[in-house]
Amino acid sequence: MNKVVTVNLNGNAYSLEEPAYDALRAYLDGAEARLQGNPDRAEIMSDLEQAIADKCRRYLGPAKGVVGSADMERILAEMGPVEADAGEGEAASPQQGAGAPRPEAPRRLYQVQQGAMISGVCNGLAAYLNVDVTIVRVIFVALAFLTGGIWALVYLVMMFVVPDANTPEKRAAASGQPFNAQELVDRAKQHYAELREQGSRWHDDWRRRRRTRRAQRAAAAEREFWRNAGAYEDAGYATRLLAGFMVPVFTLLSAAIFVALVLAALSLLVTGGIFDWTLPVDIPEWAAIIILVIAYQALHQPLRAASRASYETTAGPRHGWLAAADGVLWLGFTALLFWLAYLLIPEVRSLFDDLRFEWRHLTLAWTGW
Amino acid sequence: MAIDEKFTSIRKGLLEFLILRIIAADKVYVADMLERLSKTPFATQEGTLYPLLSKLRREELLDYEWQESEAGPPRKYYKLTAKGRSQLAELNRYWKQINVTVEELGQSA
Repeated sequence: MNKVVTVNLNGNAYSLEEPAYDALRAYLDGAEARLQGNPDRAEIMSDLEQAIADKCRRYLGPAKGVVGSADMERILAEMGPVEADAGEGEAASPQQGAGAPRPEAPRRLYQVQQGAMISGVCNGLAAYLNVDVTIVRVIFVALAFLTGGIWALVYLVMMFVVPDANTPEKRAAASGQPFNAQELVDRAKQHYAELREQGSRWHDDWRRRRRTRRAQRAAAAEREFWRNAGAYEDAGYATRLLAGFMVPVFTLLSAAIFVALVLAALSLLVTGGIFDWTLPVDIPEWAAIIILVIAYQALHQPLRAASRASYETTAGPRHGWLAAADGVLWLGFTALLFWLAYLLIPEVRSLFDDLRFEWRHLTLAWTGW
Repeated sequence: MAIDEKFTSIRKGLLEFLILRIIAADKVYVADMLERLSKTPFATQEGTLYPLLSKLRREELLDYEWQESEAGPPRKYYKLTAKGRSQLAELNRYWKQINVTVEELGQSA
């Protein structure tokens, strides 16, 4: 005589002999453990229970109301072992390298898009060298200046050559963290399941919020516009005229400062000094260039603020067109000034000639290499 | 037996492709799939199939709908999504390439 256990298999009640129950319990526990981390675990478990229930029904009849242990053995053999990730490929299979401790993943250079400014080259390099990304960026920008833009080409080449860290494995390899494939895959799946579950709810919610946000922003912009419009009407005719006159003046100044910066930097690179004035010995070239750039910013920032203010005074709150036209004007002034400097200042002329020579030298070295 | 073992991993790897083919051909539920595979070298079991189907559904290659059955509880009938169909087309093409390659490599160059 055997004790009988009644179980609920996905909503179906079945009577099992106790050994049959134990075998089933062991099977389901094993399956559940193997599906650990699978986002669809609950669903797969109920599918499995349902399949077992269907098979139990086959073994039962009017004369037989209880599933015996031999029946259960056969049923479970038919079911077969539950595989964690059927057909998921080798990478995720836990058998690989089991036993032996996992060696630290080799560190590789990748482009890392998360938190990247342009393409993630600096970001990936920072991860690879294990330094702060800001340091790498500053060095890249400094190099770009020191090499007269050649370094930008290096960046461009790296953008195309260095592979993207577009998978969790690669992102981990970018900084060489020891990386447990199974764990990452599990985490990703967990994430995905949560997203899927909440996705539609979020989506609706987000759309509703975006609608109200947009409406609010439009209303605020409108209020702002009318307030500024009032201020704009208030500015006297003379003020507006003066501001309108100042717009191109500021632009001319800004272009002049820019041209001066570029010429000074080029002169530094080519001759090691700024025209006739040579550097004091103790300042290295790159430091001089950084100082130049800072000086340029110091002069340029107030100018920019002033020209923005005059846009607004001249053209009112909707001054985008004026800013755009002014940008074109700036380009024109810059080109004109370069041209005038080349024509009228002999030092600049020789600088450009030197530069042409330097460039030829460089391209020759490049093609030779 | 030894011959059988040489292709173990291939059979395993092909299962996903075959399931997609079966589902593309007919609206089926799990017992139908097992039945169709049972007479082939690719015979498999629920313990393998359910996790595989759930993975494919997560990848949005297939979906199911519940349908009443005359005998017993409602069943999940599987069908391919648009993504599943396009992936199957690619897999079919790739499979043909493999077949051609296998044939060609067996012939003298």
